[in-house]
Amino acid sequence: MVVAETQVYMPQAPRTRQRLLEDERWLAFVLLVPTMVLLGMFIAYPFVRGILLSVTNSRVGVPGDFVGLANYYKIWNDGIFHTSVYNTFLYTGVTTVFKLALGLWLALLLNRNFRGKAFTRAFILLPFIIPTVLSTFAWKWMFDPTFSVLNWLFYHLNLISGRINWLGDPDLAMISIIVVNVWRGVPFFAISLLAGLQTISPELNEAAAIDGAKPRQRFWYITWPLLLPVTMVVVLFSIIQTFADFQIVYVMTGGGPANATHLFATYAYQIGVGTGLLSEGAAISLAMFPILFLVVIVQLLYIRRVEVR
Amino acid sequence: MMKVTRRNVLKSSTALVGGMAGILATGRAPAFAQGTTVHWLRWNDFVPASDTLLRREMLPEAEKALGVKINFETVNANDLQPRITSAIQSGSGPDLIMLNNNHPQLYAASCVDMTDVVEPLAKAEGAHYALVQANSNDGKKWISMPWAIIGGMIAYRKSWFEEAGASSFPDTWEKYREVGKALKAKGRPIGQTLGHTFGDAPTFAYPYLWSWGGKEVDESGKVVINSKETVDSVKFMTGFWKDAHDEGGLAWDDTNNNRAFLSQTISATLNGASIYIESLRNPDRYISEKGAQLKTDILHAALPKGPAGQFSMHTYHSHVLPTYSKNAKAAKDFLRWAHSKPVYEKWFVSQKGFATPCTPEWEKHKVWTEDPVMEPYKIAGRLARTPGFAGPADAKAAEVLSKYIVTDMYAKAAQGMPAEDAVKWAESELKKIYV
Amino acid sequence: MIEGAIWRKWAFFYLPMALFLLFLLFPFYWMVITSVRPDGELYRPWNSVNYNPFWTWNPTWDHVRYLFEETLFAAWLWNTMFIALVSTAISLVCGVFAGYALSRLNFPFAGSLGTGIFITYLVPQTLLFIPLAEIIRNYRLGDTPWSLILTYPTFLIPFCTWLMMGYFKAVPKELEECARIDGASRWQAMLYIVIPVAIPGILSAGIFAFTLSWNEFIYALVFLSSPEQKTVPVGVTSELIRGDVFFWGPLMAGALLGSIPVAIAYSFFVEHYVAGLTGSVKG
Repeated sequence: MVVAETQVYMPQAPRTRQRLLEDERWLAFVLLVPTMVLLGMFIAYPFVRGILLSVTNSRVGVPGDFVGLANYYKIWNDGIFHTSVYNTFLYTGVTTVFKLALGLWLALLLNRNFRGKAFTRAFILLPFIIPTVLSTFAWKWMFDPTFSVLNWLFYHLNLISGRINWLGDPDLAMISIIVVNVWRGVPFFAISLLAGLQTISPELNEAAAIDGAKPRQRFWYITWPLLLPVTMVVVLFSIIQTFADFQIVYVMTGGGPANATHLFATYAYQIGVGTGLLSEGAAISLAMFPILFLVVIVQLLYIRRVEVR
Repeated sequence: MMKVTRRNVLKSSTALVGGMAGILATGRAPAFAQGTTVHWLRWNDFVPASDTLLRREMLPEAEKALGVKINFETVNANDLQPRITSAIQSGSGPDLIMLNNNHPQLYAASCVDMTDVVEPLAKAEGAHYALVQANSNDGKKWISMPWAIIGGMIAYRKSWFEEAGASSFPDTWEKYREVGKALKAKGRPIGQTLGHTFGDAPTFAYPYLWSWGGKEVDESGKVVINSKETVDSVKFMTGFWKDAHDEGGLAWDDTNNNRAFLSQTISATLNGASIYIESLRNPDRYISEKGAQLKTDILHAALPKGPAGQFSMHTYHSHVLPTYSKNAKAAKDFLRWAHSKPVYEKWFVSQKGFATPCTPEWEKHKVWTEDPVMEPYKIAGRLARTPGFAGPADAKAAEVLSKYIVTDMYAKAAQGMPAEDAVKWAESELKKIYV
Repeated sequence: MIEGAIWRKWAFFYLPMALFLLFLLFPFYWMVITSVRPDGELYRPWNSVNYNPFWTWNPTWDHVRYLFEETLFAAWLWNTMFIALVSTAISLVCGVFAGYALSRLNFPFAGSLGTGIFITYLVPQTLLFIPLAEIIRNYRLGDTPWSLILTYPTFLIPFCTWLMMGYFKAVPKELEECARIDGASRWQAMLYIVIPVAIPGILSAGIFAFTLSWNEFIYALVFLSSPEQKTVPVGVTSELIRGDVFFWGPLMAGALLGSIPVAIAYSFFVEHYVAGLTGSVKG
């Protein structure tokens, strides 16, 4: 019976379906449904909840009342928050510059032909692959005041006479977390920029060489402009990730010494989870959003301009 | 598991009113609905043998005695808070959660009243120590079930202190600084964390502040930290840090000083007894420069006196039962079972003195007399104050604690900020909380 | 290659390359050494005499054995793999479909929808995880791999969609039109003509998504509770980080073993990854 029925209806059903799918709007709708459902359920709703949370005075387990922008006012006057904002910009800015410079250099090196090329390319990705919490623990141990292998190394290379207090000094602690972030990020930059380099036709460079352009000139006038679009995309993704970075600071310093290394995310976590002030934590997290949004919009516009050109 | 009928359930729940004694006497397991599971979340114990004991022996016994399944989970101590936060907010999660210090106060609104479990125990074993009351009681009821105090005492190297001219442990900060200066000159500084870490940093900073007569707030909750006493304490700390401390301490978490002590780079550190216990566990791994086993060269002492007296603050553990739990009764029965004397004793002995029980009854236990090195921990519970003194140990005090304000005040000074500015900074932060 | 004298080749290629490899791979060497070093040697401070941090004469397998015998490492590895694979697959399907629709179809609000999807990538996880815990509870997903499989796509889909949009834009319109003249439906043209062309792009998005899910920490920490359900980052940190006992050995062994499967996958795919990214940015 069932078989007979389906045989009767089968030819018709796909036809209507197909006709619908021939319509661009319907097809677009069908294709976008899974994404919309997932993002709506697991981002839009919690995001709205987060915004609502930030205008109440709720604590863990206590719903709280509407307080308007009181939480934002509070963090606006909060010295530790100011430090975190400053740190986040410094951290994002410095790491991005270094990741870009080193990543580009490495990409240029990897773009050459040499023995063990495939092997090297896979291996340099390891820092990007390894679970960040775990690699950060390895770094934390390498920076350990008592056991630091780096101190041993520098000492035996006669670079230092006493130990370096890596995570105990506010500036060195910042430098340390920046080093770890750069370490983790360089491979991503290198591989992505390498991808960009490979799209540049070697003939362009050869032609320029024949015209007598020096390597440096060839880089600045041929390679770099052509690489700019991919560079912007990579930088954009990197900024978004670095701006909201949490794990490295959480594991290495917990925001210490004396709040010298707090970032947006770690401070939001300390207030929201550590102190149970959910609403204030949400406000701090959200305060990051418009700033990030601005940075991204500026970059997206720039990318568009670059692409059009 | 035994088969359960409705009548059975009714019968045994009446039996339970009689308490654990009845069950233990009759040897009958109370019946819970089949498949009842109590999810128990604790930290990774610093004495791993205790977790092994719980997993391999005690919990199977509990399951037999109570007829419930115990789902025992341990996490890194720093990860307890995200777990309870999301559990309470979402209304689902573990039935029993271990919390540090005054954290129960942060979640008081979402925790079941534990008075009916705490009071009978207090009656049997003597009233809980004041610090336990302050952390676990909100003034009207018990919001968490006290489990243990992790006593914080200074572990120090007997022979090194003798070589530096101290035949006994220095009893005032001035003397401690003098000895520390001599020790540091020999490359054997005092180790102390001033980092962002839940245990050893506040258990040093708070008592240090109190011993100079400084306090965060007065009885009425007015911020009084900006006092001459506090400024003096910060000034002294600046020199003390430079003269006598391992400067790496600003970056330490709760585990660094253990490792530094065991690798013999520091002469003294405020800690739980875990350093000594580790040296007992692996006596041949830790050998002093004279060839002796390290365990023979460790002694414990309370923090020195200041102008205003001698104080301590200890890390404290208690269990909360969140209101969302559908197994509240089973969870409470489990706690009653776990705190019944023979059961708790087994766990307590496995801690070898790292944890001090919460009632004076246990001061008599032979654990303390068997090993004189551990004796100072016996009365750990008696000397302690709680954060927020002289006000109550409430949510505000917990907020100050978890923002590391008092610790950071000293950390800032140790890094070179003038004492007055460091205190002013702490005052302004405190005033934002105590409004 | 670099023209000129051999010393130039050394100065501008081998030396910088060696320094890069040293910087990037030194921590891994350090992990390898730590995971085979006996506990006794781990206790030496940096300035102690006779300390050689880079070599051990008494290598031991104890730490690796401990990892597999005393912890549920094998289960964590399997969980992580399963969760990462399924959530990557879901994100790829969503990302490819959405990317196709947004880049090749005309419909109202296409532009703002695209921007909207991208914006979701900016929402910080520290804000989301508490409301998400509530949703996970409502759907009764707590402590199951599905709690992560369904939430990871939230930060993977925006990335995948964006990457695929760029890629699809680069595929010439004529290709699709030819197929449609031959009688293929839109759906078929997409499935059999456009998507196969975009395979390198899909691969690179997939690899990136896989890595992100492999690394995720905070959702896994909050949503999973049974030891046998945990993922590698959460399991290793929650079981092996204790006070005074040295778990550095197993910790480092766990970190290494936890990244090797992905490293192997990468070594196969890295060329495609490079090719894929190339395509996406050309668009």
